[in-house]
Amino acid sequence: MIYVAGIDIGSTYSKALLLDESFKVAGRAVRRTGFKLALAAESVFDELLKDAGLERSQVTYVAATGYGRYTVAYRHTQLTELTAHARAAVHLFPGTRTILDIGGQDIKAIRVDAEGRVKAFRLNDKCAAGTGAFLEKTARYLGITTDQIGEYALRSKNPKPVSSVCAVFAESEVISHLAGGVPAEDIMMGAMVALGGRAVQLMRRVSLEPAYMLTGGMTRNAAMIHALEQNLKDKLQVAPDGLGQLNGAYGAALLGLLRVQKLIAEGKPIPATASQINLNEVTAKRRWSAIATKKAAPPCATGACPTPVRIVRKPLEEARA
Amino acid sequence: MTTATASRPETEKSAFDPRVEGQRLIKEWYAELEQANELGQPVANVFVMGNAVEILRAFDFKLVFPEINSLQTGVRKSSEEYIRLSEDYGMSPDVCSYVKADVGLILKENRHPVGRIPKASLAIASNMCSTFIKWAEIWERWLKTPTFVLDLPGQRAAGWQVRPGDAQHSADSRWVEAQFAELIARCEKITGKKLDLDKLAEIEDRVNRMVGHWNNVMMLNRRTPAPYNAMLDGLTYIGIMNVHRGTQEGVDFMRRLEQHLEAKVARGEGRVKDERFRLLFSGTPCYVSMRRLVELFENWGGVFAYSDYLTFAAGGMDAAELRYDTSRPLESLAEVTAIAAQRGLSNQFFAHERLAQQIRDYGTDGVVFHGIKSCRFVSSGMADTREFISRLDVPTLYIESDLIDPRYWADAQIKNRVDAFFEALGQRGSRRAS
Repeated sequence: MIYVAGIDIGSTYSKALLLDESFKVAGRAVRRTGFKLALAAESVFDELLKDAGLERSQVTYVAATGYGRYTVAYRHTQLTELTAHARAAVHLFPGTRTILDIGGQDIKAIRVDAEGRVKAFRLNDKCAAGTGAFLEKTARYLGITTDQIGEYALRSKNPKPVSSVCAVFAESEVISHLAGGVPAEDIMMGAMVALGGRAVQLMRRVSLEPAYMLTGGMTRNAAMIHALEQNLKDKLQVAPDGLGQLNGAYGAALLGLLRVQKLIAEGKPIPATASQINLNEVTAKRRWSAIATKKAAPPCATGACPTPVRIVRKPLEEARA
Repeated sequence: MTTATASRPETEKSAFDPRVEGQRLIKEWYAELEQANELGQPVANVFVMGNAVEILRAFDFKLVFPEINSLQTGVRKSSEEYIRLSEDYGMSPDVCSYVKADVGLILKENRHPVGRIPKASLAIASNMCSTFIKWAEIWERWLKTPTFVLDLPGQRAAGWQVRPGDAQHSADSRWVEAQFAELIARCEKITGKKLDLDKLAEIEDRVNRMVGHWNNVMMLNRRTPAPYNAMLDGLTYIGIMNVHRGTQEGVDFMRRLEQHLEAKVARGEGRVKDERFRLLFSGTPCYVSMRRLVELFENWGGVFAYSDYLTFAAGGMDAAELRYDTSRPLESLAEVTAIAAQRGLSNQFFAHERLAQQIRDYGTDGVVFHGIKSCRFVSSGMADTREFISRLDVPTLYIESDLIDPRYWADAQIKNRVDAFFEALGQRGSRRAS
């Protein structure tokens, strides 16, 4: 049996999804990314294998996506989440032409063709006021958890607009509303309406072409979907069975599986993983901004100053030996 | 199109490295500037567009290009220090970073990473960019540098273009010539010398030759593979086009550059080892991260075959008909100036048709727009132009950073956009493959 994993290392959450050779979902995992991306990549893969009841060696191919795609050492290939989302969206809903993905730190609007190829895309600029992280921060001020955001906001009767285009200033506005006695659910819903407005504006920039699909963690938030649909004046499709958040991983796995099928059909071997090709590949290149100022070498306590030398053997060399 | 030849002597090919030679010329120019005040030489501040450099050279002015000073702080990774100084003084983050780096330079008593910049006895600005005028005002108020603002005719309407010989051009030329007469009087007063028309004609002849080579250099990049990257190598070339405009060193550099690139074309040698995509860059560079930006594209086999910046920042004299008539040096200078600066600027105004033509000429697979935070003037028309280009079914990418302010460079975001752009291009297949 062939299994292909899609690993999506996002800025806030890491997602993993496993497809078998009949394109059925064989496993899934979601966890917070944290600040150690390579570690998150390992952990989410372990959780995925646990969910599927498989060993690592049983996974034929791994396709990585998301901002942290280059930190997935066991990947066979990598692709941007824009390509991944596009493929999965058209696979799940063949009529999809415009996708909105609201992630932790950015929003993406993607226009696709019938084959799931990206025709145009726009990402939000450097301001974070229209991202999931902004909603999470707002929720934190209001003393509710991320999972409660949607349910909480749906109680709102009179959403309070949050007008600022800057996430930091918007937070000040939230605090000001709280101080003014505005009910918390109205502030939460107001933040969603503001976010929805920005998101739909981004969709307009790739030109609105139905049908529409929402992907990313925001698919778990009924209030946000409601706010977006109100602004869009149309329906947003959401992947069933909680797969919306895993759409990027789904697309990566899907493209991975197609690639494996092609390799098998052509009688070609599965390529090596990134770590097999180059052990140091995940090490960031030194850039001028990252170059530390010259430091004087610390004096040697023993006086002998032997330079420690460690011989590191690559796994492939070890295997050959 | 320029015909490629492989008949150049081997020594010429190997001896000339445009990057090394360009850096040497820039370094020498700064070294000369450092001594100018001590030697009592007249110094003028000029901008790269609409600057009457030929007249100033005829009076032996040493030329300071404040825009190049600012971009050099970016290239040398010290622009933030200069920009922050001007912001400490009270300038907004939204002000042009070139201006802020220059104000920082003044606040650092003209100490630039490459040496001390001399005090100017005259500054030439023009209405080609409104910031130029306010920038020159800062020098006038702070440093008592007298300013001379050239009022150059601009483009008056869409699709409207002055052509040499028509009545409008004749009127525009007289308007510019009258201003030159005034400028010459100012220069004569500062230097105590009379304008030598023969010397002016010699300088114009050298500019003609430089422009001729420059046009051929740009044409050579229509070849596949492109022998140079318009947004990395090209920036060195236009640096020489500006700093050495009208000098013998400038002519020699451009001549040897053309020969060097011709030889590369004859050998079938490209800038990128495996050229997969040919691209057009529209907008201004991000000097602090230009090497990184180009690397992001070249990793995918993408080369910038052309950039409108090469015309915009090289004085606008890319059209073959813009040559000085050295038998009438002053009149001819006015005639060319009345059009050239406007054409440079018009690369930004009504850029649609011109870009579409360049996409065809250079056989590009896509267009990359680079908006800059500190200049809305060059960035504001991009959305409209991008929409037009997209309707031609040419893929486009928009990225944003700044000229020299490193705080606006977001590596992960830009890399993600570039990667996604190439994935989409790969799905379409390159123009040549289709």
